[in-house]
Amino acid sequence: MTSATQIPTIEELESLVGRQFPGGTYAVEPWRVWLTNDVIGAPQRTDGIAHPMFCYYAAMAGFGISIDEMFTLCYASADDGPMFGECDIQQMRPLEIGATYTVRGEITSAVRKQGERTGTFDIVAFQLEVVAPDGEVSSVVSNSFIFPRRS
Amino acid sequence: MSAVLNPSVGDELPRLVIEAVDAEKMKTMAALLGDSNPIHWDVDTVRELGMGDQPVNQGPNNLGYVMNMLGDWAGGAERIQNIRVRFLDNVFAGDRLEAGGTVTAIGDDGTVECDVWLARDGTHPVLAGTAFLLLA
Repeated sequence: MTSATQIPTIEELESLVGRQFPGGTYAVEPWRVWLTNDVIGAPQRTDGIAHPMFCYYAAMAGFGISIDEMFTLCYASADDGPMFGECDIQQMRPLEIGATYTVRGEITSAVRKQGERTGTFDIVAFQLEVVAPDGEVSSVVSNSFIFPRRS
Repeated sequence: MSAVLNPSVGDELPRLVIEAVDAEKMKTMAALLGDSNPIHWDVDTVRELGMGDQPVNQGPNNLGYVMNMLGDWAGGAERIQNIRVRFLDNVFAGDRLEAGGTVTAIGDDGTVECDVWLARDGTHPVLAGTAFLLLA
């Protein structure tokens, strides 16, 4: 792990690309599905199919590190004001209620940019695969975080 | 749920309205996600941060509303093949939201591409993106 809030060099930033996460598992538990549907106003289905937001929840809960650890890995902390960038969810196969999925993934890009108003910031993107018990990839979730780099 | 069988480019998707975002549901989601960020449930923290005087909704909830809008239109949210969004602004407890979209392309394989959005009071964008659905 790297120390938080230290501004990385370009080389350090680019060395993040390809870094694999520990990975883990995520169980789509019925009680969690019910409560989530209630929160976001989705119908309570009886066909065993989970809301597509569970592609995201499974990926983020199962990739093996916490968000704070992700920030640290990217030479930042929550105090630096990181922002969520883009979120891309591919749903190849709906997640099934009661099933346990394997999650794996890695950092796919890390770039430094300069904004006229925002100053220097880094964008770190990562991709997570949610794999069904039969080995098929059910979902691919790609996210990015924006890290302001105030010197 | 009602499936649209023959969409056309330019069709407006039926809007989904959330009359008032519920602060209590943010607490439930914080517990579900193990999200320790107090901006979702502690008004004092929100005030201290100068973010206003209402809890901030979790970003995934906002994406969930857009998925619900798509699912209502398409006959089930499992028809969403891909959705790509950017989070543009915070949503607060009590906000009135509208989710909507427009059909922008239809592929030979039946894939329907839509611009999608979520807006406070139907005008101030808080989320925008693109979705692909297979209606066949």
